[in-house]
Amino acid sequence: MRGTLGSQRAWLVLGVLSGVSWTAAKISVPLLAAGAIDNGILPGNSQAILVYSLVIVAVGVVQGLSSGFRRYCAFRIAYRSETDLRQRLFAHLQRLHFAFHDEAQTGQLMARANTDIFQINQAVILIPLTIASSLTLVGVVTVMALQSVPLTLLSLGALPLLNIAATRFSKRMQPVTTQLQEKLGDLTAVVEESVAGVRAVKGFGSERLQERQLDHEADAVRDRSLESARLRSGFLPLVDFLPALALVAILWYGGHLVLNGELQLGYIVAFNSYVLMLIWPLRMAGMLVAQASRASAAAGRLDAILVTDPQVVDKPGARELPPGPGEIRFENVAFGYHGGRPIFTDLDLLIRGGEAVAVVGTTGAGKTTVARLVPRFYDVDGGRVLLDGTDVRDVKIHDLRRNIGIVFEDTFLFSDTVRDNIAFADPQAPMETVRGAARLAGADEFIDDMPDGYETIVGEYGYTLSGGQRQRLAIARAVLADPRVLILDDATSSVDPTKEHEIRAALREVMSGRTTLIIAHRPATIALADRVVLLDGGRMVAEGTHDELLESTERYREVLAQAAAVEAASTVERVP
Amino acid sequence: MRGGGGGPFGQHAIEEKLTRHDATQVLRRLVPYLRPYRVRIVFSILLLIGQTACLLAGPALVRHGIDAGLRKNDAGALNLSALIYLFAAIAGLFFGRAVIRMVAKVGEAFLRDLRSRVFRHLMSLGMDFFEREKTGKLVARMTSDMDALQELVQMGLVMFVQNGLLFVGAILVIFLMSWKLALCTLVVVPPVVIASRWFRKASNKAYLLVRDRIGQNLSTLQEGLAGVRVVQAFARERAFTRRFQETNEAQYDANIETVRISAKYFPIVEFAGVAGIALIVGIGGAFVSADIVTVGTVAAFVLYLNNLFEPIQQLSQLYNTLQQAGAALQKLFELLDTPPSIAERPGAVDLPDEGGLELEHVSFGYGAEDVLHDISLRVPLGERLALVGPTGAGKSTLAKLIARFYDPREGNVEYADVDLRDATLRSLRERIVVVPQEGFLFAGSVRDNIIVGKPDATDEQIRDAIAALGLVDRFDAFPDGLDTEVRERGSRLSAGEKQLVSLVRAALADPALLVLDEATSSLDPGTERTVERALGRLTEGRTVVVVAHRLSTAARADRIAVVDDGHVPELGTHDELIAHEGRYASLYAAWDSRAAMGRAS
Repeated sequence: MRGTLGSQRAWLVLGVLSGVSWTAAKISVPLLAAGAIDNGILPGNSQAILVYSLVIVAVGVVQGLSSGFRRYCAFRIAYRSETDLRQRLFAHLQRLHFAFHDEAQTGQLMARANTDIFQINQAVILIPLTIASSLTLVGVVTVMALQSVPLTLLSLGALPLLNIAATRFSKRMQPVTTQLQEKLGDLTAVVEESVAGVRAVKGFGSERLQERQLDHEADAVRDRSLESARLRSGFLPLVDFLPALALVAILWYGGHLVLNGELQLGYIVAFNSYVLMLIWPLRMAGMLVAQASRASAAAGRLDAILVTDPQVVDKPGARELPPGPGEIRFENVAFGYHGGRPIFTDLDLLIRGGEAVAVVGTTGAGKTTVARLVPRFYDVDGGRVLLDGTDVRDVKIHDLRRNIGIVFEDTFLFSDTVRDNIAFADPQAPMETVRGAARLAGADEFIDDMPDGYETIVGEYGYTLSGGQRQRLAIARAVLADPRVLILDDATSSVDPTKEHEIRAALREVMSGRTTLIIAHRPATIALADRVVLLDGGRMVAEGTHDELLESTERYREVLAQAAAVEAASTVERVP
Repeated sequence: MRGGGGGPFGQHAIEEKLTRHDATQVLRRLVPYLRPYRVRIVFSILLLIGQTACLLAGPALVRHGIDAGLRKNDAGALNLSALIYLFAAIAGLFFGRAVIRMVAKVGEAFLRDLRSRVFRHLMSLGMDFFEREKTGKLVARMTSDMDALQELVQMGLVMFVQNGLLFVGAILVIFLMSWKLALCTLVVVPPVVIASRWFRKASNKAYLLVRDRIGQNLSTLQEGLAGVRVVQAFARERAFTRRFQETNEAQYDANIETVRISAKYFPIVEFAGVAGIALIVGIGGAFVSADIVTVGTVAAFVLYLNNLFEPIQQLSQLYNTLQQAGAALQKLFELLDTPPSIAERPGAVDLPDEGGLELEHVSFGYGAEDVLHDISLRVPLGERLALVGPTGAGKSTLAKLIARFYDPREGNVEYADVDLRDATLRSLRERIVVVPQEGFLFAGSVRDNIIVGKPDATDEQIRDAIAALGLVDRFDAFPDGLDTEVRERGSRLSAGEKQLVSLVRAALADPALLVLDEATSSLDPGTERTVERALGRLTEGRTVVVVAHRLSTAARADRIAVVDDGHVPELGTHDELIAHEGRYASLYAAWDSRAAMGRAS
């Protein structure tokens, strides 16, 4: 926070200066008006009246200009720090390791970057406003006290009550507001359910039941709202009443001072203006306290993220990946997620350069974990993972990952053009390379059929693709950079079995000439591999070709049958 | 991120504008809704006038105090002015308190009624409506539109009327005091009004942009987080961070634009205020010399200036709240104007307790094109018919017609020889029940979810229904039994448990004809068997139409109808259709070979 504010020192200085001149102008106007009455109007000095009027206009110009400046500076600083902070947070989140993202919920992180930063922004906006308010307060009290201390006390004495009332009001209002929000939430839930579950509602003819529920919630909302109106009716009129008391005091006590010749008549007018001037600063004081506490809570939550250091980072002296055929070797690897139950205690595995190996096992056997340790999404707890003879932890992460292409089960596509999605690893790639990758992945035909071809926007807000099409784009994305190692992490499992053969053909194509690690449970996909490795209980229990293992290993047959049973039980016409 | 467009973020929906004509329409329609409250409304307005009078009395009393008291050295007159001022302030306090309470009472009662009425209407609408409209949009009618009205009721309305009265009242009073000085003073008002209008429009536009940019920025952010694994897998962290910077800076630029606008507006207003004082002092001073006005009048004018400027700014801002509320009302009225497509005919009869189902030459389509073409089908009492076919062939549509979620375009659907269109809706929903097997659960307890079809069921009846499906053990296993809270959309129950609750719900409703939409998700083998057993017991002795997604289900039905492209090309028992060697036979062969793999263990 301090750093982001520091870079804007110039705006800060300008903001404070214009704030000071604004306050000075604002305070002098009532004084000048009083002067005009006492020195011009009452003695009937028309030249003095003219001079005073012109000076007031001139001060008005100053007040107007500095009002614009201080506003601009204050908000500029606030928005700049908000933007910078959000940028920092995003960059940090992008660098944080997989394990962090496994535990953090996207919604939570979104709230950090959105609402929490907004809360901080609101507090920053209040800082210069508060400075100006305090200056006004000090200035006004000084000017008034110079005229008459008792009158100042009498007229301003009641105003702090406004502040106390405001604090009390917001304290009592808060639980009611929370309850009201909760009740509104309950009401929304009834509506959402009734609409989303309209088939169930209509199917059973239970509209009456839902209507009764809604009425119940609507009653609760009304009751809470009335309660909040009751609280408001206790506070809001005070905002007019307390200053009015001050004005009465000025008229009465000030009037008597004038009658006694201790005060000039013009000050009655000036003091009236001053009281009105102080209403806002006093009300804001309460807001500032509340906002400051919200902002500090928000800052605490943000800080918790920003101080989390990325765990998977380049070692000092990390080097480029030396050239090689893409040989992967696990040596005595031990690993568990977040320090929890170990997945592997002592795993040895060798995948020779250019070889295609399928890793098979039941859920939780660690198939996917194998795939995630190679590109260093996680670091091993013991032993080491070697790529072409180099410990992956000794290689620059950027270089390591650029040499590995991954197709995830969840084919996340960005809301961007087909072209940019395929060229994700290398946005500068020439169109020929992009087309080549698409062709290799068997995606070129359907891309050409899309409304804008390679320029079609896909992703959440774009053109809707079938599961198989998404998968082929993900494959094209993985092979675009011509990686040494290709990892297919359950890449075909979300594809309709009847369409799977199309993807398989594409896969066979892209696998040739690369080391390929296949995580799969469908025999047809497993058959793409030269060799199969069976994982069970955190270690490799068997290896061989698919046919050999089918023949020799009972556990292998069990694992496959289990997977097939789950799938056969599911639909015949699964919607992709 | 390019098609990002808005999203539910940012400020209010500012873009919703009402034309003058629409506004008149909305007001006209509003009148009958407000009629029950007319006495209270009139009373509220009187209270508001009282409160405004108290506020406006202040400067006039200062004037009196100066002219009659200070200028004439009459302490008594001064004391009297101060005393009346004090009373006016106290009276204003009570008026203000009463106004807020009174308006809240009227407004909240009105909102409560409107909520209930809109929801009732929503529930009366046909399935076609719900399939046409997005859930989010419908929910927004009951949430954000109602919120806009709520905001108006809670703050806006009182402030709007109050400020309007204050403005008009202040002008009236200064004219009464001295129309000449009033005319001179009012010179500064038009620029402020014009500037305020400009400000409102410019800042609305700017905030709209801010909202868009926030939406875009949030969607980049969301993608960056949801896709972080892909980003890291391809080592694109830095590039993606740059991409975020673009939308992030765009949001900043939009924000700064709003700042620029207010940095232009507020100086004008502040300057006009000071210029007004200069005018009053200068011209008023000359008038005092010419004996046209008193010093007290000049002082009062300076004080009234506040009552002119504040309301202009407030009203300009409140205009937005008013616009939004108007737009919200318009949308709500539109919804209330949508007629229900499935309504009960006058003279509708109750469906007989039992009977067969018959479809005669039924054609139906959601839009211009027909989805079902001339389908005729008979399902005799007690038969179990499975509908099989590819996605989009019309199976589910057919099921919906059977339950009268829609009426056919041509032909008719009859239950026990009564056309469904002639049946009372209550008897229809009692005899024919649609069960999406992938049960939709409502927030509440397991019991609440079971009694959906029979709200007055006793616990004993519920237990009987559970026992009838052989699920006593499963339901006893819930932590709090029937009182177990399922939370929103049943997220605390497993997919299998949700299905079981849904089946018990159907068993309790005990319909004669059950329309079952089979689940598509797969369960673990153990639960799968429990669900199948319960399903078997549920369908026992009933007429059943099942939309089958699994061929194993189809194979167990009495007869199978293959639905393809809106026709029923094959209809018969499993063995007949296998012998027929048509579509069903080939589907079955493909499925069987894969199932064989599973059976191998």
